[in-house]
Amino acid sequence: MQIKTASAISTGLHVLVLAWATLSFSGKPFETTPAESLPVDIVSEKEFSQLTKGIKDAPKPVEMPKPIVEKKAEEPPKPVEEIKPKIDEKREVAPNKEVKQEPPPPDPIADKLKPQEKPPEKQETAAKAEPQPLPPKKPPPPKPQPKKPEFNPDKIAALLDKRDPTRKSITGNELNSAPSLGTAAGSAAQLSQSEIDALKARLYALWSPPAGAQDAGNVQITIRIKFKRDGTLAAGPQVLTSGSGPVFNAMRDSAVRAVLVGQPYTMLRPDHYEMWQEIDFVFDSSKMYSDIPVRRQ
Amino acid sequence: MNPADVAQSVLPLTSSDLSLFTLFWHAHWIVKFVMLGLMACSVWVWAIAIDKTVLYTRSRKSMDRFETAFWSGQSLEELYRSLSSKPNHSMAALFVAAMREWKRSFEGSPQKSFAGLQMRIEKVMQVTIAREVERLERRLLVLATVGSAGPFVGLFGTVWGIMTSFQSIAASKNTSLAVVAPGIAEALFATAIGLVAAIPATIFYNKFAGEVNKQAQRLEGFADEFAAILSRQIDERG
Repeated sequence: MQIKTASAISTGLHVLVLAWATLSFSGKPFETTPAESLPVDIVSEKEFSQLTKGIKDAPKPVEMPKPIVEKKAEEPPKPVEEIKPKIDEKREVAPNKEVKQEPPPPDPIADKLKPQEKPPEKQETAAKAEPQPLPPKKPPPPKPQPKKPEFNPDKIAALLDKRDPTRKSITGNELNSAPSLGTAAGSAAQLSQSEIDALKARLYALWSPPAGAQDAGNVQITIRIKFKRDGTLAAGPQVLTSGSGPVFNAMRDSAVRAVLVGQPYTMLRPDHYEMWQEIDFVFDSSKMYSDIPVRRQ
Repeated sequence: MNPADVAQSVLPLTSSDLSLFTLFWHAHWIVKFVMLGLMACSVWVWAIAIDKTVLYTRSRKSMDRFETAFWSGQSLEELYRSLSSKPNHSMAALFVAAMREWKRSFEGSPQKSFAGLQMRIEKVMQVTIAREVERLERRLLVLATVGSAGPFVGLFGTVWGIMTSFQSIAASKNTSLAVVAPGIAEALFATAIGLVAAIPATIFYNKFAGEVNKQAQRLEGFADEFAAILSRQIDERG
């Protein structure tokens, strides 16, 4: 067989396959049901760092959200107010309506019909018509104060607080048990997750105190850091804490190294350069992984 | 390529269907070239495959027939006379070559030179085997090349198409799937054609290489047997 014949056969086959493919392989549009759109709140960085304690799907408050509080913070005790009985004020008592009515006009026919009986009647009515003010009422006795809830022994179980008695109650200024928008981990009305926190996290991540540092107890090393606007160091870190001993020296050197290695500190925004151009940072060995107060200058 | 042109060329696709023809038509000319080349490769591969299949089947059958005739006790002279005009398959060609050398040594020259006859016949047969195997193997390398290079060529088209689709994203400033999908579909089409060409090429190459090996061994076996027969004849006559 010649190769030409084979080529012709092959070409024919390909044309057939292509024709079939063109007919069968037509991209059908996927049938998609439009997904329901979810309302999404855009939370700015500042709002996020000020999340309050709450649950995620709580109804959105219109006014300022209140953090969940189970216990009130201590307040100065208020002077106890005396409960005074209420006394109703005196009321002016109006005269009777009947009395107000004027005597009916004299009827000549009736007078004639009952000439003798009328006059005394008239006099009586005249006598009654005189206003007789009622004696003033006595003030009612002081009303009892709002009555106490009835004690129902069947409902004791419902009244019991079934929560863990040793739980940590959340203390705040105002009692509020209704959850508002917030995070489960939030603990304060205003968190300070901010640039300073980012700086802190970075420095603590880089700070590797020597292995024996735990035995040295609570060692605090304050380092003054001067920044340039681009987040690099303007000057070498300056150790403000003085101390001695090999452990202290090792920790101090480690902290200085952390400050040097961590630059540039891009988490500090140039907008607030005045706030962070000089920071006294406290490396605290006992709180390596917890929140550390930072003193700013 | 101007990104605006890309967007112009790609955007109409989003509304129309994604049939094969549209996919091809909207592709960049490099991708088109790759697709056409791969299509031609595929056509050629199948042509070779059909040709070789027919060739090997015929060759095997005629070898069977020839061997039956050869071992049937028929006179070799008669067999030679019937085949010498046109040896139509490799084993016949081998037989005719050996017989020609034999006859030339016996009939042509008056002084019969048996000394190197054995060696000459073996040489002639080896050359014939080499020629026949070469004939069987012809164009098989095309299959090997397409099988190994086809996916890469297709991949090249794919990469180019994806570059185009990214350009269209950049041009339309929109990353929705409707903008990306046509470019990626046409890109993947190039890979598909590459695979369509390469997979049969590889399979056929392996199959045919095995077949050629088998037939070459068969030829060599026959050549050895025939050489043994001729050598016995030489010894008897010499």
